[in-house]
Amino acid sequence: MITMPKIGVVGDKDSVLAFKAFGLSVFPAVASDSEASRKIVDKLAREDYGIIFVTEQIAETITETIDRYDRCVLPAIILIPGSTGSLGIGLARIRRNVEKAVGMNILDSF
Amino acid sequence: MEETGRIVKVSGPLVIAEGMGHARIYDVVRVSEKQLIGEIIEMRGDMASIQVYEETSMLGPGEPVVTTGEPLSVELGPGLLEGMFDGIQRPLNAIRAAAGDFIERGVSVKSLDREKKWEFVPLKNVGDAVEEGDIIGTVQENAVMEHKILVPIGVKGTLKNITGGSYTVDSTVAAVATDKGERGLTLMQKWPVRKQRPSKQKLSPDAPMITGQRVVDTFFPVTKGGTACVPGPFGSGKTVIQHQLAKWSDVEIVVYVGCGERGNEMTDVLNEFPELKDPKSGEPLMKRTVLIANTSNMPVAAREASIYTGITIGEYFRDMGYSVALMADSSSRWAEALREMSGRLEEMPGDEGYPAYLGSRLSEFYERAGKFSCKGADERVGTLTAIGAVSPPGGDLSEPVTQATLRIVKVFWGLDADLAYRRHFPAINWLNSYSLYLDTISAWIDKNIDGRFSKLRLKAMTLLQEESALNEIVRLVGYDALSEPDQLKLEVAKSVREDYLQQNSFDETDSYTSLAKQCKMLDLVLAFGDEAKKALDAGVYLKKILALKVRDQIARAKSIPEGEISKIENIRSEMLKDIKKLTDEEAGEDA
Repeated sequence: MITMPKIGVVGDKDSVLAFKAFGLSVFPAVASDSEASRKIVDKLAREDYGIIFVTEQIAETITETIDRYDRCVLPAIILIPGSTGSLGIGLARIRRNVEKAVGMNILDSF
Repeated sequence: MEETGRIVKVSGPLVIAEGMGHARIYDVVRVSEKQLIGEIIEMRGDMASIQVYEETSMLGPGEPVVTTGEPLSVELGPGLLEGMFDGIQRPLNAIRAAAGDFIERGVSVKSLDREKKWEFVPLKNVGDAVEEGDIIGTVQENAVMEHKILVPIGVKGTLKNITGGSYTVDSTVAAVATDKGERGLTLMQKWPVRKQRPSKQKLSPDAPMITGQRVVDTFFPVTKGGTACVPGPFGSGKTVIQHQLAKWSDVEIVVYVGCGERGNEMTDVLNEFPELKDPKSGEPLMKRTVLIANTSNMPVAAREASIYTGITIGEYFRDMGYSVALMADSSSRWAEALREMSGRLEEMPGDEGYPAYLGSRLSEFYERAGKFSCKGADERVGTLTAIGAVSPPGGDLSEPVTQATLRIVKVFWGLDADLAYRRHFPAINWLNSYSLYLDTISAWIDKNIDGRFSKLRLKAMTLLQEESALNEIVRLVGYDALSEPDQLKLEVAKSVREDYLQQNSFDETDSYTSLAKQCKMLDLVLAFGDEAKKALDAGVYLKKILALKVRDQIARAKSIPEGEISKIENIRSEMLKDIKKLTDEEAGEDA
């Protein structure tokens, strides 16, 4: 039987609460405690979450962990803007991945 | 009066003489008034082609050639050990005393010292029936080696008298009444070099020749009585490997044939061996060694003979029931000598100018190695291992000498210029080398040393092969694109390469590693890999695992002396503890 991978959201309370409405599991974290955030992401990865959304504010503090899962197929870690706005690192990551995949930047320019 | 031939042509080491109809092929002849030693290698009518084992300048047509009527033979008896001979078994020390630093032409010195007296201890009594190969007595040649005096091949009968005491090599110590009358036996006997010494039966070799070289013993072992070759471009360490094998192999006698290589490589042997102690007996290694030197500045034709001289001496000791290793450095120079003679004989050349019979000559040589049931009433078993270096020009293994050798030998240690350039010594490439004795030897080691050995070996080999596959990916997309388990694999493979396979020949403790220590070291390196993988699965970051201090100790395990190999166990338990701590920390965080 193929089980559907789970989706988790990690971020500050204000940012992630809304996701609960869509039925995703949410895990509140605070940017000031990077160690706790790291453990949450590692734990989700171990528990077979397929996609983990992390707010940019949190991701900024745990870059090493984010890099670690970049090299694995699952989980996919996707950065989302927090309630206080975007830092731009999420989009930069997407741009980098696209560049890796197709060999050139096709998102902006033109 | 003896019949005398006349020189009609001189071409380098080749002399053609007429009026030689009475001689036979492979007879030894004396050429010209200078009494140069030569050997007939071709006969056409009464014309004989002679390869002369000495310089032929100033020879001219018309000079006399006299056959001795005997084939090229070596003298076998006490006095061989610790000796250094040239390609036709002339003792270099005695020649030096007679003629100075470089060999002069026509020097005639007996191979074995005729003055020295040996203490002969009889083992048989008058009236005993003896046959060829029986041991009639012994001579304690030096502190390590007991030289057994054998009944020569072809002699069978009853001992008529035998007396112990002090004798020179050519005095009669016993007499045998044979069918054809009484025959006196001396301490010394002669044997033609081109003929294999007979044995009862050739056996299948099963026990490994332990060399103390980790990459050899673990990955590409050779049996006692096996054949191996070491091809490699220059500078990749062929000679050092040959020296290491000559030093540390667990054989009783080593015959080292320096064939066409630089003179100072032989000097190295001469300087080092008397100082190095045999790990078993504690006596200098020189006491079990016979050196045959035909360096690159010595006559070419004698180079051709040096290999046969070496292997005949090896066979003689094999017949005593000893295990013997013969190192030939290098068979390419020998093949080049063949080529030079073949060219002067105007034979049709084969590949790259080598004679068409190169392959058969090489197999003739290597086939004389093996494990044998010796002649004689007691069921002695002797082994002769042949290890030949090959120097393929430009490191190109597809050249004829390497290919002809590969068809015969069962172990191939391919030296790699890349590894040598990276300072990875011994530079034996683990991906293209092979040993066909692996199954037999693995079974032997599992039974006699450690049951885990063949499993560990397989695991390490798999890891190294995976490493080379992963390296292809790394070359394309970079190290960072690999997953953590793959990165760990690369790290462990690196540890196998650097902490296990690399071995410093010039380091006192690292130069030789016993099988027991090899097993423990390999286990340590691989156990680290296993434990690290488990920790990784439990969520520990690779960076933390790789930062462990215990890895330095793993790397230094090779410098732990043989007497203290239990220390490796300590490192192992410390490593397990450290990794467990990391895993616990990680688990504790979850709780």
